[in-house]
Amino acid sequence: MRSEPSRHGREEGSDCPVRAGDGRAGGDGTDPSRHDDSAGPAPAADETEPDARFTFANERTFLAWSRTALALVTAGLAIVQLLPPFPGVPWGRRIIGTPLILLGSAVVVISYLEWAGKQRALRRGEPVGRSRLPWILAVTIAVIGLIAVALTLLSGVKLH
Amino acid sequence: MTTPADDIEDTDPGLARERTALSWTRTAISFAAVGGAILKSRPYAGVSILVLSGLIWKLGQLARPSGAGQARPRQLLLIAVAVTAVSMAALAIALLNPEPGGLRP
Repeated sequence: MRSEPSRHGREEGSDCPVRAGDGRAGGDGTDPSRHDDSAGPAPAADETEPDARFTFANERTFLAWSRTALALVTAGLAIVQLLPPFPGVPWGRRIIGTPLILLGSAVVVISYLEWAGKQRALRRGEPVGRSRLPWILAVTIAVIGLIAVALTLLSGVKLH
Repeated sequence: MTTPADDIEDTDPGLARERTALSWTRTAISFAAVGGAILKSRPYAGVSILVLSGLIWKLGQLARPSGAGQARPRQLLLIAVAVTAVSMAALAIALLNPEPGGLRP
């Protein structure tokens, strides 16, 4: 966690707009009766708004995962719509494409929940947990790859 | 722990905001790409996703001057809902469309 002085240095840096809770001059978040009228839920007594850079980094991480999800959805749709059919296996493209689309929607939902959890941990000064998304993504894509291999071999067998 | 001088962001904190705004722009472009990809088979869905990407672009521009460092759960929830909706539409297209011939029928 970055120290308080750097945070103040940034707010004095003029182009950074004044925050909603800035009337708390000097108190700096330790006042339990403080209430932010910002977008999020009102922080509890032991929560302080984290350094803006952590909030931004957390937001970027979520946005990157959402793009990953969109790419998965697009790939799944492209496989179903654009790929030439597997000879002898008419449902082959849907077997590969549908899990990719479902994986995309799962990734964006999980990444939003993880974003919210990390934001909460940052406010409380707790360590942010390790993301489970890379593991989920790796396992699912590996399984889909194996299915694709099986389909390719199967359609080759049926062709001859 | 770094001393303030070690980190360029202590003298120019706008960089984190800049990266985030650029990340929003990339997200908007990704949405536009999906909209363009769907446009041919489903014109209405494609156009609505393209409109949505314009909205997301606008949200990214808003990240720059105001709301610095505040968590923005509503905007991010919008992204999550939008991606889920797009994937459900894609799922419907994938499952309900008659067997497409592929690029080379």
